[in-house]
Amino acid sequence: MAGRHPMENRWSRRQFIGRAAGGAIAVPSLAAILAACAKPGTTESGGGSAAAVGLARPDNPVELPLNGDPIAASTPIEEGATLQVYNWDAYMYKKVLKAFEEEYGVTIEWTTFNNMEEGIQKLVSGQIQPDVFFPTTDYIARLVESDLIQPLNLELVPNLASNVWQSFSDPGPFYDLGARYTVPYTIYTTGVAYRRDRVDDADASAQGYDLLWNPDYTGEIAYYDSYRDAIGMALVRNGVMDPNTGDPASITAAKDSILEIINDLDGQLRINGTFAKLPEGEFTVSQSWSGDIVGAKWYLPKGTGEDVLGYWYPEGEPGLIGNDTIVIPTTAQSPRLAHEFLNFFLDEQWGYTNFADWNGYQPPFTTIDPDSLIADGVVAPQLNKAVVTEEMFTTGLVQSQLAPEVDQLWLDAWSEIQAGG
Amino acid sequence: MASAEATAEPQGGKRSREDQAAGRGGAWFPRWYWPTFTLPGTLWLVLLFILPFYTVLSVAFGTVEPLFRTPLPVYQPWYWSFGTFDTTLEKFYVSPAIYQEPLIRTFAYVFAASAICLVVGYAVAYYTARYAGRFRVPILLMLVAPFFISYLMRIYAWQSLLQPGGYVDDIWGIFAEPVNWLSGKPVTVILGLVYGYIPFMILPLYGSLDRIEQSMLEAGRDLGASPFHTFRRVTLPLSKPAILAGLVIVSLPMFGDYYTNDLLGSQNTSMLGNLINLAVFQPGQGQEAGSLTIVLMLIVVIPMGYYLRETRRAAERA
Repeated sequence: MAGRHPMENRWSRRQFIGRAAGGAIAVPSLAAILAACAKPGTTESGGGSAAAVGLARPDNPVELPLNGDPIAASTPIEEGATLQVYNWDAYMYKKVLKAFEEEYGVTIEWTTFNNMEEGIQKLVSGQIQPDVFFPTTDYIARLVESDLIQPLNLELVPNLASNVWQSFSDPGPFYDLGARYTVPYTIYTTGVAYRRDRVDDADASAQGYDLLWNPDYTGEIAYYDSYRDAIGMALVRNGVMDPNTGDPASITAAKDSILEIINDLDGQLRINGTFAKLPEGEFTVSQSWSGDIVGAKWYLPKGTGEDVLGYWYPEGEPGLIGNDTIVIPTTAQSPRLAHEFLNFFLDEQWGYTNFADWNGYQPPFTTIDPDSLIADGVVAPQLNKAVVTEEMFTTGLVQSQLAPEVDQLWLDAWSEIQAGG
Repeated sequence: MASAEATAEPQGGKRSREDQAAGRGGAWFPRWYWPTFTLPGTLWLVLLFILPFYTVLSVAFGTVEPLFRTPLPVYQPWYWSFGTFDTTLEKFYVSPAIYQEPLIRTFAYVFAASAICLVVGYAVAYYTARYAGRFRVPILLMLVAPFFISYLMRIYAWQSLLQPGGYVDDIWGIFAEPVNWLSGKPVTVILGLVYGYIPFMILPLYGSLDRIEQSMLEAGRDLGASPFHTFRRVTLPLSKPAILAGLVIVSLPMFGDYYTNDLLGSQNTSMLGNLINLAVFQPGQGQEAGSLTIVLMLIVVIPMGYYLRETRRAAERA
């Protein structure tokens, strides 16, 4: 496949900028105001079960408590229903959604959020009551604790056992042993993207993370505008192999490293640095999710070959890795149809179409063979490091839930970066 | 303009009551008749200003939901806590004072951009009102035309023009070393602000300059003033209300602007609006966002108050 993708306006799933319209702070309903007789925030006790089982980590997997019974397998599919899907902006191929609508004779109502905080806020406040939701893994425990998502009946999602890497179903991911509430959506690594017409591969491998701190590329460096990802990579680059660290000195050092990019190297914090601006030539190096660089080919200007795109990810030492999930909220109107939806996107063919023809973000399917991805032209040969394999997860560094006081340290550092140091 | 209506209304009411008292002819209106006309405006103000602002206060002085740390507004003032507001204020003056620089930047950029808007806008409005002749309508059309495209789209266009390898770079490169305009250059942000808001300066100025009687200028010249003096003693004072209105119209939204900076600047050029936008979307920072909004409101009240005082005086003189 060559040339521009016929999609009108594709944004990264984590697009923040310029999309603030619709404000995140909801004006509450009158009922909510009247109900607020007691002082808000005093009745709820935070950290109940999270405190009991500890924060989920790859070396501390948690089994989330059941907050109810999953729906019965005999539940009939809601006919002619409207399925409310609440997802990252442009993180799903419309053609696949259409195929689902046709197969089940239903309508999909598609609502998007631009960052996780906005998505969570609207779900918590009840402004949006979706049937299907796409949280990052660090929110799963809290969503369960506050009864916002319901347990799955895995009999209704047979594709999880048959198509998906076994680690996601048995024993299940560290944040949700037994896949009680979640199925995986996509997997990705976080590395460094570079222009191969300006930096050669051997040089890039030698530099690694320091590509982003190289004064030779002053003014041509992009970094993600997302606090977990930005500070996370700076930590690893500085040799702190824990992207969830609570050590103030490490966080301060990571903050200084990012300020160095901004102040000394004229770098920019851009969410679209990799998928849109690197292919256009504005940047030479950029922090990159593997899915962004795979999808970047759709943004190459006419006449620029796909071989200008390069991706570096550490070899022989652990790198940043993660996955997104699909869940069914408690308020779902069509829970049975929602199970079908989960199963549909784990279908080897539809899941693959969603990834290869639109998304760039790979699903964790056993049927996907890394070599054939390259042979089929889904991933360009020189981007082979952007292909994610199951083994990478065994040693990979995963961003996961932070304790509130640690999160505050991260956010304070981030505020300082945003204020221009 | 607003004050003119305000003074006209009670007069109208009084006259009708006087008419009624004097037993003169004309329609009779009950006492509540004229004030009723303020109802839509009052409702508008309550629904779209007072309630939202009260919510901002409730968020700023409220708390956060413990699990997700989303803002939890507290609507009962007796439960308000001012801790976050205080710590936010401290970030402006207690070391490391991370908000001090953005505050200074905000003032500097808004001041510079408003000044450029005024100088350039005055020249354009003056020319259009006095000398444009048959080109007056095309010029005004060209001024209004960009409004048909969303501001965001236009700034995106600037982004591609200014990026390395863009047209601006090509032309600039003929004369000087290439500059990376988008890497947090104050000049880019200031010019972006000027570009975005200058029509709001030109239109009131044009309206005012266009209404100045030719005879006034002729009188000035008759009495021996040079063209420069006529401008300084006649045109400029007569257009003062429009200058003030224009400055208020452009500078108030500039104080809260964040998208120009998001798209054309970097963290090096962060303004208060950017900090608010960021805080709104960060877990646990909702109160801080509210507090910053209050700070910004207080800042903006100063030029607004000056404007209201000046226009009232002008109305009294007239």
